[in-house]
Amino acid sequence: MLLSADVWLGIAGTLVLWALSGTLAVGIGLILAGGSLSDGRFVRLLARASVNLTRGIPTSLFVIAAGIGTMHLVSVSDLPIVFPGTTAAFQQLAWAIMLALALGSAGHLAEIFLAARAALGRPRLEQAAVLGLSRLRHAAIMARESASIALPPTGTRLIHHLHNTAFAALFPVADLFGAIEGQASATFRVFHFALLGCAIYAALSGLTWLLFRFLEAAFAPPSAQRARTRLPAWS
Amino acid sequence: MVLNLLIGLPGDRPGGLLLSLVYFFASGAAALAAGCVYALACVALPRASLLLQGASAMLRGIPLILLVFLFANVSWFAAGVAGLVGLTLYSFGHVGEVLRSFLTAYPKPVADQARLMGMSRSRDWLQLRLPWTLWRSWSALITHWVSLLKDTGALVVLGIGELTTTAKVLSEVAPSFEQWATILISAAGLYLGATLALIQFVPFAAGKLFKILQQHERAGSQATERYV
Repeated sequence: MLLSADVWLGIAGTLVLWALSGTLAVGIGLILAGGSLSDGRFVRLLARASVNLTRGIPTSLFVIAAGIGTMHLVSVSDLPIVFPGTTAAFQQLAWAIMLALALGSAGHLAEIFLAARAALGRPRLEQAAVLGLSRLRHAAIMARESASIALPPTGTRLIHHLHNTAFAALFPVADLFGAIEGQASATFRVFHFALLGCAIYAALSGLTWLLFRFLEAAFAPPSAQRARTRLPAWS
Repeated sequence: MVLNLLIGLPGDRPGGLLLSLVYFFASGAAALAAGCVYALACVALPRASLLLQGASAMLRGIPLILLVFLFANVSWFAAGVAGLVGLTLYSFGHVGEVLRSFLTAYPKPVADQARLMGMSRSRDWLQLRLPWTLWRSWSALITHWVSLLKDTGALVVLGIGELTTTAKVLSEVAPSFEQWATILISAAGLYLGATLALIQFVPFAAGKLFKILQQHERAGSQATERYV
């Protein structure tokens, strides 16, 4: 078999960490972007401070703080067990690292969302404002309009986010980098396993890129979609 | 504690923020130089460089922490050199692509003008295209450098005593929650300070550098006009 059970568990652990922390990061990023546009001065300042803090501090430091901090804090036993390969005793640690990873990307994603909204241009923003829609409907329209601008940098950031999940290996949380490191130490075939790790990470990064290209096509403005369908099949 | 975070643990100096900055500047400068060569090669020979461009894309798909691990374990480099090589390659993958994309957008009328003026190819690339590209791509480069400065934290995997490793070691032995929190908040503050200084300092230094380049360029074009 090309990949051992440990490597498969590592891949599964990385994917769960990435999916959960990535989703949370997008959610926090949206909240911070919304807060940065708030009319309330206090909310705006708090959101900007959070964006700058999360962008200025390395993810590795967030992960170390979460990892060592979990050992100092009271344990929470009723957290669901979702991280494959991580023992039940360290599931709380895995949750803390997931949160740290999300915080490491949230500020960057908030900036991407704000830039995408600004790229729509003042006339379109004013046009949306005078429609008299509810806040939620207005936000949904803005999200739909700016999606095609926001998706490419969001994809790039989430690839970087995938790479950051490797910091989980600093603690006993199962992930791909940890599995590669473990297998390399156990078998002394360091080059083999390091190359295997490079290939798997590159493949996962490629898949993420493809997913976002697909989303980009799905969320492209109607005019761009029409132009694409008019192209002859052989072009 | 702050001194240890700034210059490293006793017996392991230089370390801390100082070592992080050394790694950052060394790898950033080497990657910028290599990125310029890469961008020039890709634009001058677009088809022949496809393999190189593919390799650069592949490089961007590999986490920095794995690159550092790879170089530390499968090469004859010492841990410090392996860290530097890993950081340089990682930065090169991003900087090269940024420079290539901007250099591709070099305006054709300016290129034609240089050709009509009889400028040599090397002078055109070095005195016109490269400064134009660097100037236009500055904000993208700064964004990458901010990321690179923070990513020096990946050297923690080799136990090199830069700021993240020092903070990790100190916080692991901290006897109380308060001390642990103080160490990590101080390390975060140092990273934030360094990032802000970088954002302020680099455009200032770049402005000075480009002023000098412009003066040289003006002197060069005056000499060319006199010659013509």
